Amino acid sequence: MTTLTDRYVWAAARTLPEAQRAEFERELRERIGDASDALVDTGRAPADAERMALVELGDPAALAASYVDRPLQLIGPRYYLTWWRLLKLLYSVVLPIAVAAVVLAQLLSGADVGDVIGNAIAVALSLAVHLGFWTTLAFAVLERSPGKGADLAWTPDMLPQLPELSRPGRRSELIGSLAFLGIFALVIVWQQFGLPWVDALETIPLLDPDLWSFWIPYFLVLILLEMLFAIAIYAWGWNWWLAVANLALNVAFVVPALWLFTTGQLINPEALEAMGWPWGDAGEVTATVIVVVVIGVAVWDVIDGVIKTVRGSRAGAMPTLGQL
Amino acid sequence: MNHDETTAGHIQELRRGTVVLACLVRLRRPDYGYALLESLNALGILVDANTLYPLLRRLEKQGLLVSEWNTDEARPRKFYRTSPTGEALAEVLTTDWRRVDDAITRLTTGDDR
Repeated sequence: MTTLTDRYVWAAARTLPEAQRAEFERELRERIGDASDALVDTGRAPADAERMALVELGDPAALAASYVDRPLQLIGPRYYLTWWRLLKLLYSVVLPIAVAAVVLAQLLSGADVGDVIGNAIAVALSLAVHLGFWTTLAFAVLERSPGKGADLAWTPDMLPQLPELSRPGRRSELIGSLAFLGIFALVIVWQQFGLPWVDALETIPLLDPDLWSFWIPYFLVLILLEMLFAIAIYAWGWNWWLAVANLALNVAFVVPALWLFTTGQLINPEALEAMGWPWGDAGEVTATVIVVVVIGVAVWDVIDGVIKTVRGSRAGAMPTLGQL
Repeated sequence: MNHDETTAGHIQELRRGTVVLACLVRLRRPDYGYALLESLNALGILVDANTLYPLLRRLEKQGLLVSEWNTDEARPRKFYRTSPTGEALAEVLTTDWRRVDDAITRLTTGDDR
C-alpha cells in the first residue's frame, strides 16, 4: 500500500529532470515527515497530520516548479512587452499585406467575387491563428530557455510621437493607398477584356487598345512609382523631397491623361459607340466635369502634401517597432 | 483589497530580505529545514515553510549555503551551513540593515538632517 506521501512525492518529482529527482524526493520526504511529526505533537492522529501537511504544501506541480525556479506563466514580464509589440506589428503589417496579395492573386486568376471574399476571410483567420500561435510559442520557449536570451532593450528612441504631432493614421493611409493603386492598376489591365459589371462593355475594352503600344504601360509604371511613393511616405513621413516628387508624379499622370482624353485618344471608339456617347447635350458637360475633377483632385493632392510637409517638419521621426 | 490585506502585503515585503539575513546568520551553526523554521519563528522572525524551503535551496544554489545529509537518525535530514561567501554577504546585509535602521530612526525622531 502506498501512502499519501509516496503519491505526493511521485506527483511532484515526475515533472523534474531525472538528475534532480533523487535529491528532491529526499528533501521533500524530510519536509513532509517533519511537518506531520510536528502536527502529531500537537495531538492529531498521524493520518490527519499527514493529510494536513500535504494540504499545507499545496499543488505538487507548483511546489516542484518553485524548487527549480521554473516559470508558472506562459510569458513573463521579461518578454511580455516584446511579445506584445511584435504581435501587434505582425497583425498590422503582415496580415493585411498577405490578405491583399491573396485577393489580388485570386482576382487575377479570374475567381468570382464571392469566392474571393470567402477565401480572403479564411486566409485572414488561419493566418491570424498561425501568427499568434507561432509567435507565442517562440516566446514561451525563450521564457524557458536558460541564459539572458534575446534582450531587446527599450530605448528612448522608441517613444511614440505625441498624438497632435504625429500622424496616427499613417499606416491606414499606406494600406488605403496601396489597395487603391492596386485596384486601379487591375482595372486598367482588366478593362481590356471588358468590364462585366457595365452592361454595354461586357466584351469591349474601355480604353483605346492602341494605347498598349506606349501609354498604358506608361501609366502602369506610374502606378508602381506611386506605390513606392506611398511606402516612402510611410517610412519617412512627408519631407520637401517627397512633396516635390508628389508634384512630379501628379503632373506626369494628369497631363498625359487629360491630353489623351481631350484629344479623343483615351477611350476606345467602339466603347463610346456601345455606351451611346455623346449622351445628347450632357456629353459636353460630362467631359468638362471630368477634366475639372481630375485637375482638382491632383491640385488638392499636391497642396495636401505640402501642408503635411510643413506640419511634419515640426515633428517627424522614423516609425520603429517600439512606437506601435 | 481591504486594509488588512494591504498591511499584510507590505509587511511581507519588508520581511522578505530579512529572512535571508536571518538564515545566513542562524546557519553559522548547521541545522536542517524544520529546526531552522522553528527557531526563527521562536525568535519572532515569522517565516512560512513554503517560503523557507525553496529559499534554502536557492541560497545553496547561489553558493551562500553548503549542505550535507545527516543519516544518523531514522529520517535522513539535509543540514545547511553558511559558506564563507554567505558569511561575507551576511556582513554586507547587516551593515545595510543598520544603515536603514538608523535612517528610519532619524526620520521618526525628526532629526532628519
